[in-house]
Amino acid sequence: MSAQKAQVVELFEAAQKVYPREIKGRFTSLSKLATLLLLGLFYGVPWLMWDGRQAFLFDLPARKFHLLGLTLWPQDFPYLALLLIIAALSLFFFTALAGRLWCGFACPQTVWTEAFIWMEQLTEGTRSQRIKLDKAPISISKLRKKASKQFLWITFSLWTGLTFVGYFTPIREVLVDTATLSVGGWTLFWTVFYGFATYGNAGYMREQVCKYMCPYARFQSAMFDKDTLIISYDQQRGEPRGSRSRKAERGIRGLGDCIDCQLCVQVCPTGIDIRNGLQYECIACAACVDACDSIMDKMNYPRGLVRYTTHNAVSGKGTHILRPRVVVYALLLTLLIAGLVTSMATRTPIILDVIRDRNSLYREVDGGMVENTYTLKVINQRNEARAYRIDVAGIDGLSADNIPQPVIVEAGSVLSLPVRLSAPRDVASGVNVIEFRITDIDDISDSLVEDSRFVGPF
Amino acid sequence: MVTDEYRGTRQWSRNQQAVATVVWVSFLGAAIGTMVFFALFDPALIWADVGVELSRESGYALGFFSFWAVTALTSGMTAWLVRTAPKRGSTSS
Repeated sequence: MSAQKAQVVELFEAAQKVYPREIKGRFTSLSKLATLLLLGLFYGVPWLMWDGRQAFLFDLPARKFHLLGLTLWPQDFPYLALLLIIAALSLFFFTALAGRLWCGFACPQTVWTEAFIWMEQLTEGTRSQRIKLDKAPISISKLRKKASKQFLWITFSLWTGLTFVGYFTPIREVLVDTATLSVGGWTLFWTVFYGFATYGNAGYMREQVCKYMCPYARFQSAMFDKDTLIISYDQQRGEPRGSRSRKAERGIRGLGDCIDCQLCVQVCPTGIDIRNGLQYECIACAACVDACDSIMDKMNYPRGLVRYTTHNAVSGKGTHILRPRVVVYALLLTLLIAGLVTSMATRTPIILDVIRDRNSLYREVDGGMVENTYTLKVINQRNEARAYRIDVAGIDGLSADNIPQPVIVEAGSVLSLPVRLSAPRDVASGVNVIEFRITDIDDISDSLVEDSRFVGPF
Repeated sequence: MVTDEYRGTRQWSRNQQAVATVVWVSFLGAAIGTMVFFALFDPALIWADVGVELSRESGYALGFFSFWAVTALTSGMTAWLVRTAPKRGSTSS
């Protein structure tokens, strides 16, 4: 038993470089479309403008995120966290429903690998040409092909890195700086860093990333059930497999519909054989579906020997779309999205921080009054200057004598306001809870209350 | 049809797998850590407290790579310990 086991472990390593073969078909077109769309979005979005500035700019140096007309501050971090939770839940939801759609069509690893394979095909030719080229001894033509591939890959990677940086620094400035060779150190560093990551991931690591590095690929099966959409080979119909003449009658020699042409294996970007059943390496790109359909067409057999289906459908049971887990995911998603939308819609674009002066508890002044000092930080999150009124309450006779009325805060900036409060000594003994209320004068629905303490003699 | 399956570059060895996994997983961890940390703290203020003048960009980068160093160390250590652990039932002590 143990000897046998040791042998299995050794065999595990006997794998080879995958040369995905090109194929045309419904799902390949769909995936090309998705690739173009997603790449178009990635490379295009930083160039969009809104009100004279970049529409989507995660301005880290200024600690502000601009999304169209909305400006988010570090204080809005809960929104980002909520957004990430929603993204994760959506992934679970779609996985339960439709399997690894994400992997096959939307994952950046897949999308950029597609783009890199396309460049590879452009310079080195088809699958068999590429295999031959790699086997061939070094020659001028081989060097030329390899060099042009590298040129395309590296240029594309650097452009990718530059675009990535363009989400954090205004991309037009980055481009001008790059063109005039006056680019800043960090900009250059992150461009090269991200470019290199793209180059390595999409050019060389490819399916190894999915196999060895991707956590989702490992745990996605936990979200699967027998009604999840998977890509499956119809074993009952296909077996026993065997080659035959194209003109041979269907079912000759008792053979199933699989003609064992290996096309499904050749097109697979992760290099697996879908006929061995569902494997965790399968990223559900459906290239094998297209490959098999094209063969079935040639043989005049019905399509769908390899197809999108569910475990239940293959074994002749009906498929249920509404299952408890799908419903629960959907409910949670709806709830979270509704929560995010309402809290964004009702978000007050003012932030008020009250910091009590820690150096002195209180100061007694003439007229039987006690004084406390505070620093107010007023943040105006709007993209225009606003005027605010600040009131204090909580103790009878509490008054603020040095708050300017109105308090003007410039667009998207922070105003630091030292404030001195005084209250009659006899009513303000001990620790009192007080409140600061800030109201936007032009839009009184924007109002905020912040609690603090007022300390008097004990 | 395809009998000459080309055996070219080998796929990753166990060591390559381990290194790639550690680098990647620790990168993800560092990215999350950096995001949360700098949402709460402004690097400019942190360095001002220490009395060092540093731009925010440098602060972020330094923070990110510090996070990455720590996460890579822990994840590398974990991977190493798991991989070099004595086999269950092995007699050597």
